[in-house]
Amino acid sequence: MILRTPPPKRPRTEPKALEESSPVGSDRQLFIYEDSPVVHVQPPSDHLLCTYQCRQMVKSEFFDALSSAEKQARDYQSKWETLNDSFCKVDSERKKFREQLLFAEQELAAAKGREQALQDQLLKEVNDSSERFKKQIQSYKEIEIKLKDEVNLRKKAESSAASYKEKESNLEGQLSHLSESMKREKLSFQAELAQLKRESKYSLSRKNAEFEKMENRAITAEKELVLLKENMEDLRKHLNECLHQKGEAEKKLATFTFQEPNSSDASLLVKHLQEELRNYEVEVQEARKLKSSYDQTELLREKLLEERNRRDRAESEISKLHELQFSMKALEDELSSWKMLMQTIPDVLSPDDVPAKFASLQKEVLDSMKKLGESNARLKQMEVALDGAQLSKQSAEADAALVRDKSKGIEEEVKQLQLMISMITDERDRLKQLLEDSNCMKSDVAGSGISDGKLLQELQLSLANKECYIKELESTVQMKQEMNNRQREEIKLLGEKLNDEARKIKSLERESDRLRSEISLLESKLGHGDFSTESTKVLRMVNTLAVDSEAKQTIEALRSELQKTKDKLKAVEELNNQSGDTVKSVDSHISETLKQLKEQIATLEKREERYKTVFADRISVFRRACCELFGYKIVMDEHQRPNGIPVTRFTLQSIYAQSDEEKLEFEYESGNVSIVVNGYCSQPDISQQVGIFIHKLNSIPAFTANLTVESFNRRTLS
Amino acid sequence: MASKTVAKDIITLRGSAAIVSEFFGYAANRFGCWGFFFSVSILYNRGVYPEESFAKVKKYGLPMLLTHDEGVKSFIANLTSQLSEWLEAGKLQRVVLVIMSKSSSEVLERWNFSIQTDGEVVEKGVSREKSDKEIMREIQAIMRQIASSITYLPCLDEPCVFDVLAYTDKDVSVPFTWIESDPKLIANPQMVKLHSFDTKIHKVGTLVSYKNDEWDEE
Repeated sequence: MILRTPPPKRPRTEPKALEESSPVGSDRQLFIYEDSPVVHVQPPSDHLLCTYQCRQMVKSEFFDALSSAEKQARDYQSKWETLNDSFCKVDSERKKFREQLLFAEQELAAAKGREQALQDQLLKEVNDSSERFKKQIQSYKEIEIKLKDEVNLRKKAESSAASYKEKESNLEGQLSHLSESMKREKLSFQAELAQLKRESKYSLSRKNAEFEKMENRAITAEKELVLLKENMEDLRKHLNECLHQKGEAEKKLATFTFQEPNSSDASLLVKHLQEELRNYEVEVQEARKLKSSYDQTELLREKLLEERNRRDRAESEISKLHELQFSMKALEDELSSWKMLMQTIPDVLSPDDVPAKFASLQKEVLDSMKKLGESNARLKQMEVALDGAQLSKQSAEADAALVRDKSKGIEEEVKQLQLMISMITDERDRLKQLLEDSNCMKSDVAGSGISDGKLLQELQLSLANKECYIKELESTVQMKQEMNNRQREEIKLLGEKLNDEARKIKSLERESDRLRSEISLLESKLGHGDFSTESTKVLRMVNTLAVDSEAKQTIEALRSELQKTKDKLKAVEELNNQSGDTVKSVDSHISETLKQLKEQIATLEKREERYKTVFADRISVFRRACCELFGYKIVMDEHQRPNGIPVTRFTLQSIYAQSDEEKLEFEYESGNVSIVVNGYCSQPDISQQVGIFIHKLNSIPAFTANLTVESFNRRTLS
Repeated sequence: MASKTVAKDIITLRGSAAIVSEFFGYAANRFGCWGFFFSVSILYNRGVYPEESFAKVKKYGLPMLLTHDEGVKSFIANLTSQLSEWLEAGKLQRVVLVIMSKSSSEVLERWNFSIQTDGEVVEKGVSREKSDKEIMREIQAIMRQIASSITYLPCLDEPCVFDVLAYTDKDVSVPFTWIESDPKLIANPQMVKLHSFDTKIHKVGTLVSYKNDEWDEE
């Protein structure tokens, strides 16, 4: 509480006492200073009686002394008056100074009160700020601990990310290898597809040609049928004419029985007719023979064609063998390259370990992805914590700014107080000097000034104490300032650390985004249909709907043709049945031949079906046997060159192939087999062998055999 | 008020394969093969076969399609039986229905059905629980997506044929009627991921990749 300056005290009435106590006047008797104030008057002795002169001399001397004494007294009195005046002046000055002192004391007390209040405020604020700083320090310590944990986690995540990066780089390398191998396989498959297309086109063209042949045959058969019909009609006409002639002849004979002359003509006619009949019978038999021979030739032709087809197929399969051998070589080379790769891959000793390694790597990738996800979650938590820390930091900074402002205000107030204190000390010094002067003055007039000196000493002591207290406050304020400075520095350091952590978090987020994009790319690749040839294979049915439909179409076409020929034969039989008795013998032969033909057709159909099933079984057995004997899987396809020439392509894949890209391709055209250059053949080892065995020595079996031996050796050695 | 209990059926490996099979069969005509659950729907919606060769039946809350074509029927019958066998052995990784141009044999679309088999069920023969309704609902969603795929897939203006590829483990023995094939990929395809369904033993994901239409590229 600030004390109001008391009103100035009224001056005391002491000088009156002093005046009263220090009378100035002539009422005082002049005492001659003797040791004893009592003057003992002794009776005069006789010998001491002085004469009148002596008395007069004594009187004069006494009066002189009196006058001098009076003069001195007057001088003393004037001096005393002057001193009294000066004393009054000094006293008034002393009173003034005392009033000033009291005022200063009051002001000091007020200042002290203000100081006390300010100190209390300062203490409170300092306590509050210290508490806040403690809390902030605790929070910063917690954040530091969290930061340390997060830094450790980040280091672990970085180390794991580095390891996963390495693994990813390795996986990428492997993926690149896989993609390259897949590209090669794709190219090879595309080539195979092209081959298959060509082969299918070739087979289509061949089948079309066969169909045309069949059509031509059918047309020729129809034409022959037509011719036969015409012949039959002619024969029928002849028969009818013969019958008619026979009837006429019989009539004539009957009439001739009544009319015997001209019997020789009738007999001649009859003979002639009989000869004609015989001729016609001979012709019919010849026609039948021709027909049977024609049918037999047709059957023989069909057999020839079938056997030619079998021969072509066998030749095509043999050519495919060569291609398979090439492909085997390519596969062996690829196997060797993969084995080299495998050697580079740690913990993989055999090809069987690769899928497990891939599975383990995939699991590791999945684990790493999980860990990445967890680290992302932790990063997000860290971000949240960072945001909270930043907010707290901002609030702490705001509090620190407030505290700084307050401290600045307090410092200013302290400075003001210090100025005041310095002013007060100056005034005190001045007062001291005045007091000393007054003391000096008072030492001349002792007594009444002693109490004032004591008061001054007390004031001085209180001033000294206040000064000490002020110094202590200044020291505490300096300490607080130093603490504030230290906390500011710590806050700055924490802020810098937070910024670094934020940057690291951003970099980790970028890496995680990049990894996510890579993962999405890999997933898209997997979704696209890419696969690992070491763990997966693609299968399809042999007889697809297209092939089945084509075969069925051809079978249906052939059946329809058979049905047509059967119908035609039936019509012919019906016609033959309608002809009459004279042709019955001929018809019987024809019917017998027809029955035979039908039986032959039935047997041929059965045989055809049997041949088909047997062929399917045999061809599969043949293919497996070829694979087991020669060591190559052979795939035969029909292709068509750009110039339209159909070509049979054989793709050979060795059973010892280490990858699907090791395939050899051969083209077969009109008895000539040529090797097709593909990715596998373009490898230096293979191309060298191609140059030696095929181009120089012109021996494909030697080439394929050499490849199988090499691949077998590689396989066994590996 | 009576409370309905959730009909959670215990799913075994064979049952799951049968469920997925049947669905595939309804894509393939209820011949019990997995993975081709939607194939007839695909063939119908994509116009690979004429509309008159299909007949509509109601199953699983949606109109399903059956084909009259004997060739397709027999083809799918043979196919689906083998695929079921591989499914039960846990060897089947993926089934792909490929639609190709008849004239040029160019691959135009690939309907990819990826399969994830629970290895524990295959090895130990444990069973899983999942309600049929939930499985039906998932399948219905995929059927609807296939039906609505005509809005964004390019038109097939030329005659097309289809083929089926099976991605199996490397150690699977190749039957007599099957051969190894190339994956019949599309260069730079567009891909659309559809819903998946899960029997708790087999999880089937669907993805269609198709050749970029020239008009779209322009």
